[in-house]
Formats: sequence, C-alpha cells, structure tokens
Amino acid sequence: MSKQTDNKGKPGACMTRRTFLFGTGAAVAGTVLLPGLPGLEGKALAAEIARYPRKLIGQLSALQLNTPLKFNYPDEAQNSNSLLFRLDAPAGGGIGPDQNVVAFNALCTHMGGLLDGAGAFSAADQALGPCPLHQTSFDLTRHGIVIGGHATESLPQVLLELEGDDIYAVGMLGLIYGRFDNLKTG
Amino acid sequence: MSKKAQNSQPFFQPEDQVPLPPKGADVITTCCDYCVMACGFKVYRWPTDVPNGGPKKDQNALGLNYPLRPGQGGWVGPNQYTQGKWQGKMHHMAVVADHKARVVNVGGGHSIRGGCIAQKIYNPQKPTQDRLQHPMVRINDLLMPVTWDFALDIAAEVSKHVIRTHGESAWAMKYFSYQYFENTYALTKLALKAINSPAVAHHDHPSFVNSVPGWVDIGYDIFGASHEDFALADCVLISGTDPFETKTTLWNHWILKGINGNQTKVIMVNPRRTAGVAYAEKHGGLHLDILPGSDTVVHMAIERVIVENGWEDADFIRDRVANHWETDSGFGQGTRNTPWQWRTTWGKFQVKGFDDWKEWLLAQEESKVEVAAKIAGIDPQKIYLAAEMMAKPKADGTRVKTSICIEKGNYWSNNYLNTASIGTLGAILGCGGRPGQIMTRLGGHQRGGVSGGKYPTWKSPYKVPGRRRHRLDLDRWLEDGHVRFAYVVGTTWIQAMPGSSALQDAFKRQTKLNPHQVRSFDKQTIIDTLKRRVDSGGMVVANQDIYLRDPIGNQYADLVLPAATWGEEDFTRANSERRVRLYGKFCDAPGEALPDWKIAAKFAKKMGFMGFDWKDANEVFEETCRFSRGSRKDYNAIRVVARRKGMRAHDFLRGFGTRGLQTPLLLHGDRIIETKRLHDYNRKDIPDSGPEAATVYNKRLLAFKTQTGKLNLVKSPWKLWADFYDFMQPKGDELWVTNGRINELWESGFDDYERRPYTQQRWPMNFIEIHPVDAELRGIESGDLVSVESHRVPVQTDFNLGVKSDDMWFSGLMKDGHIELVTGAYSAIAMVTPAIKQGVAFSEFLKPSMPANVITPRVPDPITQNYRFKIASARVTRLGESVFKHSFSQMSFKRRDIV
Repeated sequence: MSKQTDNKGKPGACMTRRTFLFGTGAAVAGTVLLPGLPGLEGKALAAEIARYPRKLIGQLSALQLNTPLKFNYPDEAQNSNSLLFRLDAPAGGGIGPDQNVVAFNALCTHMGGLLDGAGAFSAADQALGPCPLHQTSFDLTRHGIVIGGHATESLPQVLLELEGDDIYAVGMLGLIYGRFDNLKTG
Repeated sequence: MSKKAQNSQPFFQPEDQVPLPPKGADVITTCCDYCVMACGFKVYRWPTDVPNGGPKKDQNALGLNYPLRPGQGGWVGPNQYTQGKWQGKMHHMAVVADHKARVVNVGGGHSIRGGCIAQKIYNPQKPTQDRLQHPMVRINDLLMPVTWDFALDIAAEVSKHVIRTHGESAWAMKYFSYQYFENTYALTKLALKAINSPAVAHHDHPSFVNSVPGWVDIGYDIFGASHEDFALADCVLISGTDPFETKTTLWNHWILKGINGNQTKVIMVNPRRTAGVAYAEKHGGLHLDILPGSDTVVHMAIERVIVENGWEDADFIRDRVANHWETDSGFGQGTRNTPWQWRTTWGKFQVKGFDDWKEWLLAQEESKVEVAAKIAGIDPQKIYLAAEMMAKPKADGTRVKTSICIEKGNYWSNNYLNTASIGTLGAILGCGGRPGQIMTRLGGHQRGGVSGGKYPTWKSPYKVPGRRRHRLDLDRWLEDGHVRFAYVVGTTWIQAMPGSSALQDAFKRQTKLNPHQVRSFDKQTIIDTLKRRVDSGGMVVANQDIYLRDPIGNQYADLVLPAATWGEEDFTRANSERRVRLYGKFCDAPGEALPDWKIAAKFAKKMGFMGFDWKDANEVFEETCRFSRGSRKDYNAIRVVARRKGMRAHDFLRGFGTRGLQTPLLLHGDRIIETKRLHDYNRKDIPDSGPEAATVYNKRLLAFKTQTGKLNLVKSPWKLWADFYDFMQPKGDELWVTNGRINELWESGFDDYERRPYTQQRWPMNFIEIHPVDAELRGIESGDLVSVESHRVPVQTDFNLGVKSDDMWFSGLMKDGHIELVTGAYSAIAMVTPAIKQGVAFSEFLKPSMPANVITPRVPDPITQNYRFKIASARVTRLGESVFKHSFSQMSFKRRDIV
C-alpha cells in the first residue's frame, strides 16, 4: 500500500500545507491565501495532504450561521457525507474572518451512525450529536473531539482553505468510518 | 479576534489509513479486558512482512466489503490497530469487536475503552513501551533489574521470617479480585490456603467482604440476571451509576432495545444528569437527582407509596417472601452463622414477615414522602411518580414488569442500609428470577475471582460488641504497623483506598523512612537487612504489576515483579451474566514478565509450599473447576466434559468462542445445560437425572438464597447512618464531592489516562463537575484549575475491641478517640455544568496523580466493613486558568447531557 510510514505524525523536514494551515503565525487577516504566497503554490506539500483533492464546497458569504451545509468529500462514494458549518464561536482549524468555519465528515466514528440528519447539530452546544445509534457527541469547536460516548476517534475534520469568497476542502484529519484509507473506496 | 483558532492543531495528528488483515491472517477470540460486560473481540494477526488485505470480502480476514455501511460493525479504525510480537516476530494486530457476536455486544458493539484495547498490547513504539520487563530490587533507593530467582529468594526468605517471627497475620496480600480465574486462584491458594493469613483484601475493600450485604440477608444473588432482561422489562430502576458511561454495551444494545422496542421506562438515581439520564428522560423515564448518600430514605418513601396504595405484588409476597414462621432469628441461617453475626441479633433488621415490616415502615418518620424528599433534596412528586412507574398495575390489572439494578453510587455510599432497603423494595415488587423482573448489580470489573483457600475469619483481631467479629481491616492493620510483608498484586493500593494521604504517610513511614535500607547486591545481606527492617517495626513491599505504579511501586516497593496480562496468556473469566469465556493468548509478554499465577507459584514453592507445580494456565484452570461447584459461576462441567472428550479444559472452552458458556452449568450425560438467570423458580430444563457427581445444585438455581428459599424483608433504620451522614454533610462553603467512572476514563489510570493518546487528548487531567450557581459563588469558570481540599477527612484508627453496643458507631468511635481527622487535597479542571446537582461536585475517582480518594472517609460501614467512597465534602477553590481553557487541541467543556 502507498502509506508512508517514515515520519508520519512527526514534524517533517519540509513545510506541509497542513503545518502551514495550523502552525503558522503568518496568516494574513485571518484567512489563508495559499496560492497567493510566493513560492508555495503547488509545492512543498506532504504526501498525505497532497494526495487529497482540492474541491470547491461553498461560498463564505452564503453560509448561514449554525446552518450546516452538506457536501461530499474527498469523493462522492460511500461515507463521503460531510458538513460545512459557520459556528458562532472560533473553532480549532476554523477559517474565515471569525475563524468559525469548519467542516467534518458526518459519520460517527463509533459505528458509523449518520450525523447529517435534522437535529443532529446542536447549535446551543456547537456540537454534533448525540448520534442516533448510541448517543456519542462531538465538539465542533475542538477538532471534533468526543464530548461523551463511545467513539475511539474524533470526528474526521475536513481541512479548509479560503480563496476570496470560495471555500475549498483540501485534506482530512483522521479516518472516515468504514474506510481503511480515506481515498480508497473499493 | 484571537489567532488561536486558526493556529490550533490537534493534540496529535490522527491516522487516516489503517492496514486491513489479509485473508489467512490468524484469528484469535478474546473478550475486552475492562468492564463487566466483557464484549467479545477478535484478534487478527499477520506478520509484518506479509502483504495487507484488500477491500473486497475475499481479500481480507474480516470477510467484509469496504467501505462498510453506516452502522455496520467490524470496522478497523486507527485505535483498533497496533503491532506486537508473536513468537519473537513482529506482527500486525487488529483487535476488533466481534461483528458476528450474538450475545453481549451483539453485532460488534463496543465502548471507547474496548474500542481502544488494541492499544493495550505491548508495542515498543507506543505508550505501552514502559511495561515492566524484569524483576527489580531496590538498592540504594534505585530499582535495579535482577533475575527471577534473586528477587523471589528474597521475597520467600523475608516472608518465612515474617510468618515465623511475627505470625501469619503480619504477611499481607492486597490483590485484584477480578483478573482471571487462574491468577486469583493461585494467589489465594498461597495467601489463604498455604499461609492462611487473615491480612488479605481485594483491590476495592479494606477487608474480604461482600459489596451488597443487604442482598445477602434478603436472599438475592448479585449477578442473577441475563442481559436480555433489560430489554424485557417495562420499567428499570438504575441506582448509583449510568450504564451509558460504565457498562456501554448493556446500554447500547440491551437497554436501548428495551427503550426503543419495548417502551421500557428507565428511572435513574444519580446526582448527575448524564447522557444516559438525559436519554431516559426524553423517552418517558425519570431522573431522581438525589444528594449523595440519601438513597435509603428515597427507597423507603417509594415503598411507603406502594404499600399505601396496595401496589405490592401480593402473590409474590405470599409465595416467595418469608412469613413470620419462616423467618427465624438468623435470617434462616442461625444466629451464629450469618456472615456478620450481629446483623441477626437485637432485632435491628429482621422482621416477622410482610405485615410486620409494613408496620415498621409506616412508623418511620423518614419514610414519609415529604421528609425523604427533603433529605434527598428532590421534588417529592418524583417519589410518587417513581412508585407509580414501578408498581402501579396497568389498566388491565396486570403488573408492571420491574427490574432493579444498582452499582457503586448506591452501595458505596450507605452500604448496608442502601442495599437492604433497595433489596426489600425489589422483594415487594416481585423482582428476581423472572424474565424482565430481575434484581442485579450492574457490575464493575469482570468476575474473575476463584478462591484457592478459605478466609480465616477467626484469626481477625477486630472483635466488636456481642458475638461478633469483623474481618481484618487491612488498611487500618497496615497503618497501625502490623503488616511486615505486603504482597501487592495489580492494584494501585494507596490511591484506590479512601483517606489515601494518611495511608501514603503510613507506607512511607514503614518503608522509606525505616533505617534498614538495602545497599548491596549480596543476596544474604539484602535478606538480613530486610529482616532487620521488619523486626524493627518496618515493612517490606513486593509489588507485582504490569507497569511501575506510583507511589506503591515507584517509591515504596523493595521488590518489583513484572506480570504478563490480557493477551499474553490463556485466561478464563465470567461476565455480568455469568458467561465464562476463554481469553486467548495472542502475543508475547514483554521481557521476562510472567503471568501472576506463575509468579505466585514460584514464590510459594520457594517458601516450601506444596501444590503449586502447575505446568501451564490450563492446569491451574482445571484445578479451579471443582471449587466452582455450587457457585453462581459453576463451570466444573467444562472440565468433566473436556476430560471425557480427551481435551484440555481451556481448549474445550475455546471452542465456544466469544459466546462462551453461561453458568451455572448443569450436566445431563455429556450435555452441558446453561443457566440464563438465577432464582428461576419457573425453570423447566433441570435434568431429571438430578445433580450428577460432578455438579452441585445450589439453591439459588431455583429459589432465593436463604434457608427457606424465600426472600427476607429487612428493615433499614435511618438512625444507624445518621451520625456519620451528619458529619459528612458539607459545612460552611464546602460542597459534596462525589466521584466515579466516566466512559472515557474507566480503567482508572494505568491504561486510559496514561497510555491512550486519544483519551489523554480528551482528559489530560482529572476534572470536577460543578453547578453554575456553585461555580459563580467561587468565581470559577470551565477550564479553570481548582483545588479540592478538606481538613476533616475522617480516618478510623486502632479500634479493635468494642464492648458496648454503640462503641462501633461513628459517634462512639469519635467520642472514644478512634477517629483521626486528616487532610486531603487534589487539583482538577473545572467543568461548569447544570448536569450536576447544585451543591454537589463530581470528579473521576482514580486519576493516580490527582486522586479523588484523598478526601474520601476511611471509616468503613460498621455493619459491613465496606468503605463509603462516594461520600465526601470539600472546599473547591479557584487556582487560576488552566492551559486547556482556551486551547482547541485538548479537552472539551461542552455539557455531556446534550439530548
């Protein structure tokens, strides 16, 4: 399999897009304009993020507060159900001027319960869940961490970039329920 | 706007790929090592130089097509995968809940703990890399690796000296009661049979005692139910726990099946509004949000409403409850032969049948609904509603099928009275022995105890008023300097016991501060030094465990013995519905670590004892089988049938996979008959051949566990508890501080907190839930670091001879100077939430470095010698902001009861 097993999870020698997204203090005006930064465009991307597609999923100006927008990522296949949120508080990995725009895969990492139905999102708690199967809930402001319940992973977070008003999905943190590789669907 | 959100990153980078086991991978069945459910798991093992499996069902050992569908079990996520050694060679290992399971975790359900259990496997690249690998001796205050013979020669010689010079009561064993039949049998064969010491206690008690003594007197077995009963009941009362948090698949499969399929109404008794409580309420259930320790009066008030309305199960009471003539002066067991003789004397608890009990109940001030509600701090209407839900006949006149289950919040706050009063409530409702009408503990650890010897009660020095003797209180015994050799096996003794700061002082005084310290590698010199230590009033500690625990191993042990654990040996154990399974060996133990049974056997042989010559775990298991006869987990038929087939008993049981066999097992020819539930007086499948030589029919198979086979009703006089309860009530600006397990932090420290990166991300420190009103008064916000401190933690000292009847009550002990007030303090991260009752705070019970037990009272229930772990009061004070308050990468401060 193509999985790189060398320095996964450790600081790499080169700057990855993910490191850039989360680690840098050089963000301009709260948004990340990756293609606009000289020398970075299309280069120096670590394998695990480079292998994800870059997909336009919505417009910042069209996002309603606390109204999840459904999209599919990283493909259109089984379990790609994802949700884009404009929360009412800053969130880990959030983009936009208020750092409150985040996206997550919508399958509970316990046993795959679908969390994209009506009522799955609790605006009061900025949380997804409780899951209709066994009531696991996830904190959307903290990288999808389990609030309470049985899941053994955080909700997989879809990494976002903002280009003008366009929101792009560019990678993922964590494995989607029911897959063995986020990019392999059979 | 802060840049923190944008710059945040998770605690660690989660994996987004996992290798699949290839077709042909080894598949070994086991069960989860943690909670009492014991979910079935499968281990898939394949060498690292073999290609991984593919996504088609004929390409992987799971037999599943990837991607899996939502809700489909059998997923291998990142936490279900690790690497470990098998026969010296590195292998991939995936440990996955058995998606073909038809019992316990049907369809492959699991908890967050079981879901992460692959991470328990020793992997030198993962957080398990610090497993103990070699025996060690403390020399010049450093633990130095030595050989097994070197370490055990010292242990044996010092032990022999202690027994010879100071008596067997000076040789103590504190050990896990649950960690597999093979181990508990070998350890108790050494301590109880070979040495015959009374200084033996389980990991969770000061003494060798029963957790639910009220039910002993009433006649209920504590694990008489089948999981299926939870899905068959119309109403389930759950007291002192939330199975959503602690018995995950009981909730996820069986209770949810009841709520959603059978419209089961669930009543939860708990000062916290947990996720399970919230779900139950949403589905027609009820939350009795009582103050800690007030359960008994709530039970009595519910009973009062029931009998005043005539809602009791009259037929059941007529046929299955002892009447005047059937209740003799010893609960049908003789006045001298009950486990705690004084419970049967002076008429404090026993009654002459239902009418006598009813008369007593109605005469109690505390059984009045308004009085009870005030003591418990709840709305009185909830008591009426609970009684109605549990007992009011349906419109067609048929009875509601009610089940009652309890756990530590109930029986470790007011041990005897809570268990006696809730047991009596069950008896008048007809609970016990019928589908959906059961009475059971929910359980903590799994049921892996088999005794290799009899406890010598007569050797205990704790003589109390009347013809009565308590079993030896090991913590008090140690603190008073009577323990000279302590064999500590698989428990974080100090933090696991209440008033733990004072206990730690005692350990330090008797080991580290003793002048006789080892300073040489010469074995005889070491032995001589340690003999001088014990003769001078000091103590030698041998700590047998899988990790170096602090402080018991790290600071005080003279000998550290590395144990092998789950997955590293073939083991057997029962779960909460008495289902016995084989937990297969699938990986190598690290270094020189040995299974506990083998260490105990080597130790015993070096001391010169016979009967410890087992070659393997199967031989130990086969020896235990006959001693299980007549017990709730009678599995002797396994050995009998295996021998007839020419098989090893372990191998025979292995053939039953994750289903196992539900005990007690009966034998009919070569056919094994399982037992779904105990006290099953309607049971029809008892072999007409009767008990064969190999099996014993315990009365509890077909009746209740008393002389008459009928239930005894028991009184629960509140005044026996009131003096202690008054003392423990919050004073001034104190809050009640209770404690317990939560979903993510079940395994109390050594696994969850310390060796699961995902759990560490969620819970880097202990926490304290506090109500918004209490928080505001103290200037506390979620994410603040607070101190939890008490300067009046009561610890019972030296008392071992009582003469007058009230000598043993808390006020008597206090008056006579047997209660010392010590200090205790820990820090925690505040979680401000309306899900905890106002005036009450809640912490996780056993974070080893921030242990809630530093403030819990070390004064056991004088009736039963059980600790009251869940009752404490303390001041909660803000220290400042924690780093987690504004972090996006660790912890979450969202409420846990979102519906």
